[in-house]
Amino acid sequence: MALVQLESWMALAPTLLLALSALALFVIDSIDPDTTNRPLLAGTATVGSLASLAVAVWFITTGVGDPARRGELALFGDQLIVDQMALFFMVIVAVVTALISIASYDYLRGHVYQSEYYSLVLLAATGMSTMATANSLVTVFIALELASLPSYALVSILKDNRGSVEAGLKYFLIGALSSAIFVYGISLVYGATGHLQLEAVAENVGAEGFDGLLGVGVLMVIGGVAYKTASVPFHFWAPEAYEGAPAPIAAFLSSASKAAGFVIAFRIFTTAFPLEAMTEIGFDWTMAFVVLAIVTMTVGNFAAATQENVKRMLAYSSVGHAGYALIGLAGLAVDGGQIVLAAAMMHLFVYGFMNTGAFLFVAMAEYWGVGRTFEDYNGLSSQAPVACGALAVFMFSLAGVPPFGGFFSKYFLFTGILETASGNPWLLAVAAALVINSALSLYYYARLVKAVWFEDPVAGRGQLTQPTGLYVAVVLAGVMTVLVLPGFGPVADAAYAAASALGP
Amino acid sequence: MATAFELAPAIAALPLAAFVVVLLVGDSMPKKGAFAGIIATAGSLVLSLWALATVAGGEVYNQELYEWAAGEEIAFHFGILIDPLSALMLVIVSLVALLVHVFSLGYMNEEGETGLPRYYAELGLFTFSMLAFVYADNLLMAFMFFELVGLCSYLLIGFWFRTPSASSAAKKAFLVTRFGDYFFLIGVVGIAATFGTLSFAGESSFVVAAEEAISGGETLFGFGAETWVTILGLLVLGGVIGKSAQFPLHTWLPDAMEGPTTVSALIHAATMVAAGVYLVARMYGFYALSPTALAIIAFVGGFTALFAASMGVVKDDIKQVLAYSTISQYGYMMLGLGVGGYVAGVFHLMNHAFFKALLFLGAGAVIILMHHEQDMWKMGGLKDQAPVAYYTFLAGALALAGIVPFSGFWSKDEVLYDALILGLEEPIFLIAYAMGLIAVFFTGFYTFRMVFLTFHGEPRSEAARDPHPIGAAVKLPLIVLGVLAVVAGIVNLAPIAKLTGAEIVFLEHWLDGEYGAVEGLTYHEYHELMGHETSYIGSETLTMLLGAALSLGLAFAGAGLAWTLYNVPEPKEHTRRLGRAREVLGNNYYQDEYQVWLARDLTLPFSRTADRFDQSVIDGVVNGVSSVSLFGSGRMKRLQTGVVTNYAALLVLGFLALLVIFGINGGWFV
Amino acid sequence: MTVAVEYYVLLSAALFCIGLFGVLTRKNALMFLMSVEIMLNAANINLIAFSFYHGNLTGQVFALFTMALAAAEVAIGLGIILVLYRNFEGIDVTVPAAMRW
Repeated sequence: MALVQLESWMALAPTLLLALSALALFVIDSIDPDTTNRPLLAGTATVGSLASLAVAVWFITTGVGDPARRGELALFGDQLIVDQMALFFMVIVAVVTALISIASYDYLRGHVYQSEYYSLVLLAATGMSTMATANSLVTVFIALELASLPSYALVSILKDNRGSVEAGLKYFLIGALSSAIFVYGISLVYGATGHLQLEAVAENVGAEGFDGLLGVGVLMVIGGVAYKTASVPFHFWAPEAYEGAPAPIAAFLSSASKAAGFVIAFRIFTTAFPLEAMTEIGFDWTMAFVVLAIVTMTVGNFAAATQENVKRMLAYSSVGHAGYALIGLAGLAVDGGQIVLAAAMMHLFVYGFMNTGAFLFVAMAEYWGVGRTFEDYNGLSSQAPVACGALAVFMFSLAGVPPFGGFFSKYFLFTGILETASGNPWLLAVAAALVINSALSLYYYARLVKAVWFEDPVAGRGQLTQPTGLYVAVVLAGVMTVLVLPGFGPVADAAYAAASALGP
Repeated sequence: MATAFELAPAIAALPLAAFVVVLLVGDSMPKKGAFAGIIATAGSLVLSLWALATVAGGEVYNQELYEWAAGEEIAFHFGILIDPLSALMLVIVSLVALLVHVFSLGYMNEEGETGLPRYYAELGLFTFSMLAFVYADNLLMAFMFFELVGLCSYLLIGFWFRTPSASSAAKKAFLVTRFGDYFFLIGVVGIAATFGTLSFAGESSFVVAAEEAISGGETLFGFGAETWVTILGLLVLGGVIGKSAQFPLHTWLPDAMEGPTTVSALIHAATMVAAGVYLVARMYGFYALSPTALAIIAFVGGFTALFAASMGVVKDDIKQVLAYSTISQYGYMMLGLGVGGYVAGVFHLMNHAFFKALLFLGAGAVIILMHHEQDMWKMGGLKDQAPVAYYTFLAGALALAGIVPFSGFWSKDEVLYDALILGLEEPIFLIAYAMGLIAVFFTGFYTFRMVFLTFHGEPRSEAARDPHPIGAAVKLPLIVLGVLAVVAGIVNLAPIAKLTGAEIVFLEHWLDGEYGAVEGLTYHEYHELMGHETSYIGSETLTMLLGAALSLGLAFAGAGLAWTLYNVPEPKEHTRRLGRAREVLGNNYYQDEYQVWLARDLTLPFSRTADRFDQSVIDGVVNGVSSVSLFGSGRMKRLQTGVVTNYAALLVLGFLALLVIFGINGGWFV
Repeated sequence: MTVAVEYYVLLSAALFCIGLFGVLTRKNALMFLMSVEIMLNAANINLIAFSFYHGNLTGQVFALFTMALAAAEVAIGLGIILVLYRNFEGIDVTVPAAMRW
């Protein structure tokens, strides 16, 4: 029994809090347009995202969205839905946003557009948070654009930096093309079913007789999703956008934005396009995800293997991890597959910490101005042992080495996929690709650890400062990457509950 | 008031605590941690004695304490089994460990060794592992501690790791025993996989399961149940042979004498080497199901007894003589167990622990006296200089040689008697008996050769004329063990019992569960399982008397020969007269050579070939894979041309490819 | 008589392809942007035609949203093109290619 009976729209509180903080930042900006009061701006953003996080966690623990307890909340004519999966991903988005805000405190020292930066971050986070709740192709598209448009601006926010501008341009152009394809796909789906609300779409699959159109439409929707999650062949923007963007933004895009992309993928494909009906009209979309998963993880990891620039290596590794998470959809089956879906959610959760942390370490290196390549990072551990310890944790967790969080999520993915492989032998190929790519990934992740810990320091490197905000964020991410280990039970439970509520 | 059994975990935990404490703060403790070890082992001894008394009171303890892994088919746990056998062994181990700790005060501390905390820590770890092994209630736990004692043995043999011979001896000991343990491990896995349990005792033990399988005529893994049990038994026996230094894995023990003499006394004479034999006794019910395995045990034992004794004859280093004698004596125990003499084997195990620890400590005392000289030809005349060492050593020697009425006589005679009566029924065992019998002669000879060369005659070196004094810490353990070597035989005076009809075979009753035992682990039940038939020459008493007279006669003959050859003021190296035979014996029958040959000329080329295969083919494949990966990586990243229009084109192409594949597959365009 | 919905789909597909062609061939950033707008409008045609076909207004409403979003997208796009022009002295999208591989 809750103390206060809240209005049902209050279920969107995590999203609304993010939006409110963005508006608060606008207010601050309009009062003092040239403010560089970093504590106030970063503080507002951090408090807003932490509040969002707190509310989302509170909702999860009190059973909001749990069909067995408070029930799922469908809002605004079923256009939005607050269920466990939505809350789970709201948590991921809020956590990453909070880490980014803390880290940006130092990163943005001397930057002109401070309040714009934070409000754009929070608006993008609002979009991502809304993506988690979107339950209609309309809201999906609007939320996706709300997340994308500020991201374009954020990537190119270093207006005098050619890298940043180039990254922003490529990101924007590919993004525009992809969203055109996406919306065209939506229009075809609408044509074939007459609806945009996801459950209604599901009911009308195959009912109107435009099966071919529907197939093409669904494939285009997959394209839109693939763009947002940086999956092959819509991944081309990712390496450049991550490399050119300010490192905290790269962290934000590669963790939160990717997770948001996956939540709409999970939502759309489990709700709107039931496998049974889709197979009847000749489109078993799990096969598409099987192909995408294998190709994406292979392209990402192979391209990452020989990179010289650390940030670009992380960018490609991020593509590879998208491939791992795609397994969640590839492993779905008519009867079951929730295990794999849950494992993919767990992977995204852990990834939110370890990948954000890794990019924030790069942010710290940029802050120090030590350089971009592996050689430039040589021997950093002698000057910044704590941060480098955290980096080692991130790298080994990303590679999936026990006992870090990344190992467990990958392990669940692997066992889950073997379990469901009886229904679809192609999944064995996915499992094999997972193993091969993980092995390969260890090579280049370990290379970075070797550089910072075992190589001799670069001569003539000056004294390194200790940026508080960045340190706090990196250490927090590191601690969380380790802590998910004992905390994996609840995370796994939450993910599994979310996945099975969703299940086909 | 806690009972002895509730405190049973402390028996092993005390030395473990000593290990931890000495390891951490040993350097700043008085006597570098010796007292911690002494207190801990004394505590273990007290608790063991209490446990022994409790078992004598008719109670036994078979308790699972902690389950550390549980599967659907099988669960692995730690537990404690205290029955007459393990209670007896606990007392032996903790007693010898205590005495060795005390002796170390005189042997190690007073000699100003460095690294003493390490020494005492390792002794503590060893004592812990050995005690835990002894009362392990399941085979896997036993295996784990079996390995741990092996590790401690390795560490302690290599205590003087700066001398190359010590570290190489440590390696050899480790590798050779590991070789045997490898089979043991397979055996453990096999037993677990076959019977789904590894417990020694109780309804759900693998012994019971094996018995049921055999009586039910089951087929296990394509073999008859009995054949399979034999195979499993022999696999476990691999570990036994390695650890108890039986032929052909005995070669590590003489080398192990590179360790401190105290270590030799504790580990390589009284306890760890006994672990193998103890393991056979522990799972005797299992071996009793397989006559083949038992026969193999008997023959390995008999052969080892003779073989090692003959090598002991020509050794000049006092510790080497003792090492070969140890191998030989464990051969007797195996012989005893193999011919169904469960009581005899355990009896000899106990006596040997006392008198061999005594002899080693005595040798340690001699080494102190001789300023660390071990060559017997440089000794002589120590009798008058160090009477305590002499008389205790003599007591041990008499026990070892099997001279009535010293303890060794009673047990060795019983082993031989059991072999004889079985051999009379099944003549093939007469061969094993004969080997054991001949070994008695050699034993008497080398034992007294050692005594005479060391203590009698004229001093043959400067050191022998002016020996280093020995202290109370050295004398005390010698006296305790000396007394035990003399009187320990009274626990099972079987011959006298048979002659007079007096009920004085306490050990037999003890092991037979007259005071209390775990169901199924008693002598007569083993006996029923084996179903050995025996027969006698004339009557039982006559057979016994004949056998005893024969072995005693041979022992005296050996001792007498040693007397005439070596108990002279200026003994000569009579072994030279043996000519070629001496060379063969001196080189230990070229055992090391053939094992080295096996390793170097047979295994090494094979390994080289395998290595070459690995280097060229496997590594080639691996290197190939990685260079293909990196090359692929180089290609893969070229996709990213940097020109955004190309990206758009590739994106569209990729999408079209998907569209064509799925469109045609799904028939969207028709 | 009404035009069958298939023809609207054909029209929109043609428009989509024209837009796509522009995206793939034009180097001028503004032309690129315009081509994307054509693709978006192709989708709008679909939405409105099917809205009429299905007899519900969902599609039409969504088309309005799409237009608004397209405008927002263009706003962001023009901003980026502006900084592109400042940094690269031109708006040829194939020129910024420093980051590759």
